[in-house]
Amino acid sequence: MVAPRPGVQLVTRIRRFAPALVLFVAVLFLWELAIRLFDVQQFLLPAPSVIAAAFAQNLDRLLFVGWFTTKEALGGFLIGCTAGIVVAFATARWSTMSQTLMPFAIAANSVPIIAFAPIVNNWFGVDNPLSKMLIVAVIVFFPMMINTVRGLTLVDPAALELMRANAASELQVLLKLRVPNALPYMFNAFKVAATLSMIGAVVSEYFGGSRSALGIFITQEAAQFRFANAWSAIIVASIVGITFYLAVLLAERLAIPWHSSVRSHD
Amino acid sequence: MTVQAPIVSFAGVNKIFNPGSAKETVALRDINLAIEAGSFVSVIGPSGCGKSTLLRLVGDLIQPTAGEVQVKGKPARQARLNQDYGIVFQAPVLFEWRSILKNIQLPMELRGTTPAERDKRARELLGLVELTGFERHYPWQLSGGMQQRASIARALAIQPELLLMDEPFGALDEMTRERMNMELHNIWRQTGTTVLFVTHSIPEAVFLSTRILVMSARPGEIMHVVEVNLPVPRGEHTRAEAAYFEVEREVREWLRRAQGYSS
Repeated sequence: MVAPRPGVQLVTRIRRFAPALVLFVAVLFLWELAIRLFDVQQFLLPAPSVIAAAFAQNLDRLLFVGWFTTKEALGGFLIGCTAGIVVAFATARWSTMSQTLMPFAIAANSVPIIAFAPIVNNWFGVDNPLSKMLIVAVIVFFPMMINTVRGLTLVDPAALELMRANAASELQVLLKLRVPNALPYMFNAFKVAATLSMIGAVVSEYFGGSRSALGIFITQEAAQFRFANAWSAIIVASIVGITFYLAVLLAERLAIPWHSSVRSHD
Repeated sequence: MTVQAPIVSFAGVNKIFNPGSAKETVALRDINLAIEAGSFVSVIGPSGCGKSTLLRLVGDLIQPTAGEVQVKGKPARQARLNQDYGIVFQAPVLFEWRSILKNIQLPMELRGTTPAERDKRARELLGLVELTGFERHYPWQLSGGMQQRASIARALAIQPELLLMDEPFGALDEMTRERMNMELHNIWRQTGTTVLFVTHSIPEAVFLSTRILVMSARPGEIMHVVEVNLPVPRGEHTRAEAAYFEVEREVREWLRRAQGYSS
């Protein structure tokens, strides 16, 4: 294994991302062109240039509402993931608990949790960010828990035998085998949870929330036919969502550089 | 001359899987066996004859239905808890999140050996299995043969008096296998450890062993014991000796009979 020189690495990187970048620019260009050519109405679809102008004009407000909702998403992510991991460890430790809980968890994972948003708003108050965090937490809880349980239990039987042959204690099997084995599964769940948490926060705001929230900004601007403003807020939501996802990706690279999902990029 | 106590002994051992159910399988029947310390004993037989079951009983990875298995004069379970043996499986079973050096250190870590001592011992072992320079590599960066060498080093980490090997070279190509046989022979001579070796390769068994147990098809029984008196150290020349061919012929003959049992 010879590590490529940094310069060579940079060139290959640019080469790898170049097609995607070209496609992105091309889509924007065609979008702009189509709207001017066919004279599409603003409320149907504003041109990218119009959205960009709205974005620049509302930047302060967008940053404010964007940060407000990001905090909700982040809070919900942390609560939901922590709870999911804690329950998963308890579940994996006691197999009867796992057999009792897993069917419910898998069933609950297919329930559209977002449908509960109006009810939760009622519990904690429409303006309270906690109500949105709770929705996000419940949404991310199930994939987090299910994946962690899988990672802790789907261990190579031969590896378990090796540990047994070496008189490893339950705790040693957990720390030296089950937990490292679970990490790739957990990072997959983190990725799913990162995306879901921003979606969950914005959509639950559609059912009512603080005037400082991104989702409320989008619904209000749309209600007043300022569609370019609504679009610029959607872009903020997308940027936050993508950033969140990339942060998890980076954490994964740092935490489990040995895993095939991370190392197969050469 | 004193009679040495055997390092492994089987007394009237039976192993039945799923007893009482429709899937009931008699894997081993009436196994009586004594393995002397320092010997290299191979177990050979038709597939599904219970070779691996025999080895796993010694390692207390499964328990006999009847009879007793002793290791170093203790019940097999106690021997396992004392880490009295090292084990090598057909697959290397290296942890992908650990470097080669860390993988080799695993049994010592579980025992609570100090980091400094672990490190020293693991580096010695890397030398023994000719993997010096690969300390910081990860398993996926090594070839199959190198991975299996690392797993042998790991099994030797706790300096066991007994090494259990379950078709360790079964997945390797013929050339690599012959080289690994030579290396294993040298390791066996250098360490003086007793080896219990499951294989389905006759040349491998003859080249390595001091004794070969030929097992019959299910239910597995020890049909015949071949004493291999080829001089040690063995090497390339061994495979050309008349005595080598004689033993190989004998094992093949018995293996044919063993297979005939089932059909």
